[in-house]
Amino acid sequence: MNSRERIISAINHREPDRTPLDLGGFDFTGIHVSSLHILEVALGLKKPNEPVKVVDLVQMLGEIDEKLRETLEIDTIPLRGQKNYFGFKNENWKPWTFFDGTPLLVPEKFNTIPDKEGNIYQYPQGDTSALPCVKMPKDGFYFDDVDRSKPIDEESLNVEDQLEECKLLTDEELSYYEKESKRLFEETNYAITFPSGVSGTNLGDSFWIPGWSLKNPRGIRNQEEWYISLITRKDFIRDVNAKMTEIGIENLKLLHQAVGERIQVIMISSTDFGAQNGLLYPKESYQELFKPFHKRINDWVHRNTTWKTLIHSCGSDYDIIPDFIEAGFDILNPVQISAAKMEPERLKKEFGDHIVFWGGGINTQTTFPFGTPQEVEEEVKKNISIFGEGGGFVYATVHDIQARIPLENLLALFRAVNDVRGIKVQGL
Amino acid sequence: MDILQEISDNLQKGQVSKVGILVKQALEDKIDVKTILGSLIEGMGVVGRRFRDGEIYVPEVLIAARAMYAGLDLIRPLLVQTGATYIGKVVIGTVKGDLHDIGKNLVKMMMEGAGFEVIDLGRDVSPEKFVEAVKANQPDIVGMSALITTTMVNMKDTIEALKRANLRDKVIVMVGGAPVTERFAAEIGADSYAKDADTAVAKAKALISNKR
Repeated sequence: MNSRERIISAINHREPDRTPLDLGGFDFTGIHVSSLHILEVALGLKKPNEPVKVVDLVQMLGEIDEKLRETLEIDTIPLRGQKNYFGFKNENWKPWTFFDGTPLLVPEKFNTIPDKEGNIYQYPQGDTSALPCVKMPKDGFYFDDVDRSKPIDEESLNVEDQLEECKLLTDEELSYYEKESKRLFEETNYAITFPSGVSGTNLGDSFWIPGWSLKNPRGIRNQEEWYISLITRKDFIRDVNAKMTEIGIENLKLLHQAVGERIQVIMISSTDFGAQNGLLYPKESYQELFKPFHKRINDWVHRNTTWKTLIHSCGSDYDIIPDFIEAGFDILNPVQISAAKMEPERLKKEFGDHIVFWGGGINTQTTFPFGTPQEVEEEVKKNISIFGEGGGFVYATVHDIQARIPLENLLALFRAVNDVRGIKVQGL
Repeated sequence: MDILQEISDNLQKGQVSKVGILVKQALEDKIDVKTILGSLIEGMGVVGRRFRDGEIYVPEVLIAARAMYAGLDLIRPLLVQTGATYIGKVVIGTVKGDLHDIGKNLVKMMMEGAGFEVIDLGRDVSPEKFVEAVKANQPDIVGMSALITTTMVNMKDTIEALKRANLRDKVIVMVGGAPVTERFAAEIGADSYAKDADTAVAKAKALISNKR
């Protein structure tokens, strides 16, 4: 089997020749630039002064290049959009040294000038005359939202303001996707993922609520206010989600015309519905405000394409996984096995026939950052044996590989994955 | 219904303006501010327990907290005037490098709702800022929160900084946040770990009464 066949087999619940491996197929199965650089240098794929390209400018994820993909025998390749969270294009790369010394490449419009306390800010559309939208504290590892929300006037809340950034794909974007999907499909054997999804399907994701690409975001643009609105402004949220779904399905049609069946997996939703100890919202909020729209979106994809649909939701989702399945999702990520009621055995037994687990490969809250290499290896092998049985599993860590993971643990993880797959990698 | 019970019930339902109106009414009825505070504490206690037990969720707690503040903000100046004492003083913050503060805010709300005085240092709080705040406010408790594995290690730096400033023995250090565990808390030399906001309040009360 080649990589594409292997993933297709796994996501159709057939056991492939070996466990498929994803790294960087989505922006929640990626690797932080610092960890990536350490790993690539250790494997002899990069010199210490050779930079890593940043592909996710908020979570600071690095680009998985062809050398690493081949070395680790990764089975996926992402079809990325041209623009980033801030609404400018990832182009004209320039060097920047990260706080911890990692050499990086960032797009020209990415601001690298710190304020007097050493913090770094980014700006909507790269326009430094606007208010900054995200901040990375000095010596930090990621950007986070800068609250630009204004007091809410209930009378003037409207769907159009809330969805200002939710647009139809342009001809330029579509022709880029067409060309790029052809290149990836014809020149590689990897399974092609569509990590960003299309504008409109990702309903209510608090990550996107602040509207980082907008200079003057209007509507509900603060995370806490958004959470509260799920209870206090149900009708408004329902109207927003209905309009988004309309735009989302229109965009799916356009994307399908451009890329055809060349992509295998599309991200539909990355809204977190779980928290560490249980659901983040009441179950009824999902059932009333999200599920009917998710079902319409998934039904459209399944009726019109061969793509599989992915939902990313952190935390303890156990209580609503049956709803995700009924809403038509094919794949669940990141499978946070460290959250309540998310033990691998339980998930595989109860839901393994109905949903694919794309993730769950290691506990990234304890074992991976703080365990010994031996504990990492043991857990990786155990999780593969549980989740992998009969297919329906793609190996990925629970969410991105973060910074500050000991090198020995990084190596142990990929050694264990490839051990199980019968692959010997030089340097691991 | 008893107006104090009404305050508690409406707080639990998150009726922001209703709680404000009822607290004003109670003050006009010359009900003792400490008794009114008691009804807010009682209501927030129920909210905390229901959240801990998975009966309600983050949005409902945030809404109830708004209702609590609608009442608390009205009686706070009067509490100061009457010389009412808080049950303890807490300095709280999200540790250096971490900008995630919803969890920390939930703990703060529950603490205030339980009768603690809370000094909130916000997010991305350096060890030095924690030390300064301890010097300036002389709290009973220092509470630290982190969401990410890369920042939770900064809790240890804060504890070390408190030791260097000879303040470690003067405060109770409590830690929490999604990736934080009992074991981690013990390893870094914290006094206590709480897995949720309600437990944090219960533990804080117990630790303070032991200390005294």
